[in-house]
Amino acid sequence: MTGNAVSSGKYGAEAEILKLARVLDVEPARLAYLARVDADDLQAFREQVTDTLFDANAAALQRMALAARVVPVGVLAKIAEKVFGPLLCARIAGLVDVGRGVDVAKRLSPGFLAEVAAELDPRRASAIITRIPLDTVLAVSAELTRKEDWITLGRFVGHLPDLTVRRALEQIDDPALLRIAFVLDDKRRIDHVVGLLPAHRLGRLVTAASADEGLWTPALDLLTHLGEARRATLKPMLSGLPGGFRDRVQATIK
Amino acid sequence: MAERTLADQLGGYLPEGIEALEEHERQDLADALRDARRRQAKALAEAGEEGLRYVPALLRGAVRKAVGL
Repeated sequence: MTGNAVSSGKYGAEAEILKLARVLDVEPARLAYLARVDADDLQAFREQVTDTLFDANAAALQRMALAARVVPVGVLAKIAEKVFGPLLCARIAGLVDVGRGVDVAKRLSPGFLAEVAAELDPRRASAIITRIPLDTVLAVSAELTRKEDWITLGRFVGHLPDLTVRRALEQIDDPALLRIAFVLDDKRRIDHVVGLLPAHRLGRLVTAASADEGLWTPALDLLTHLGEARRATLKPMLSGLPGGFRDRVQATIK
Repeated sequence: MAERTLADQLGGYLPEGIEALEEHERQDLADALRDARRRQAKALAEAGEEGLRYVPALLRGAVRKAVGL
């Protein structure tokens, strides 16, 4: 295993614990014993748990999705927000007709959609997610940012078109962006996502991390997932970083 | 009735790193998963009837039939 893979695994376990705690609706501290488990195993486990929860009550959810076909969209939106709540909406989203799902989503408030997004499995609702209008996505993204829900934002990056991701990231500040990248579901996309940012932003992210020790881990994790060419662009700025952080950045991008 | 183990709840297979946890740690995960499933089932049961109140009277029969209420 390479040095970078080791680092990535260490940081990855921490991020995975946060995501698993979200799925199970428990405090992350309760799952602290998982820190010694390999991040890939934790991700596989989290996906098993997610699938189990989404497949539980599948027959009842399928029947509800079927019933949604005969109910007017306006009524469905009202039921979604007033009765179903975010958890059930998230469970049903992947089962309803895509067109109806999008029509209902357009009528829901960004605040409620943000709560649904937090419960959603983007893998199952990808067809709906990609058809939500840009303005709605940006409003939901702003709401999730306001709530500092980095996990949810990170889970959607891999399921949205590049243009949407670029626009959403424009309105997110550097510390928040580092925290989102840290919990991104598919870390192999990090280099691609950084490529969507203006060229100067990567340096800005590292500078932001240098000023806050709490951001060192997310920043170093991000660097481990960059391609060599992008890492090389950071070398000229190393001398301007504070000592302890500089050494770790240097070791990561070497 | 004995509670289902973590592996039972997840279809019999656990990733290596989870399998290697201490017994009480796997039990904690099993408890957390079971609780999450119960919360979800409860929410679903409550939502079915409650949701019907918002459906126009004319459509209630069709919806009841579809959801099996």
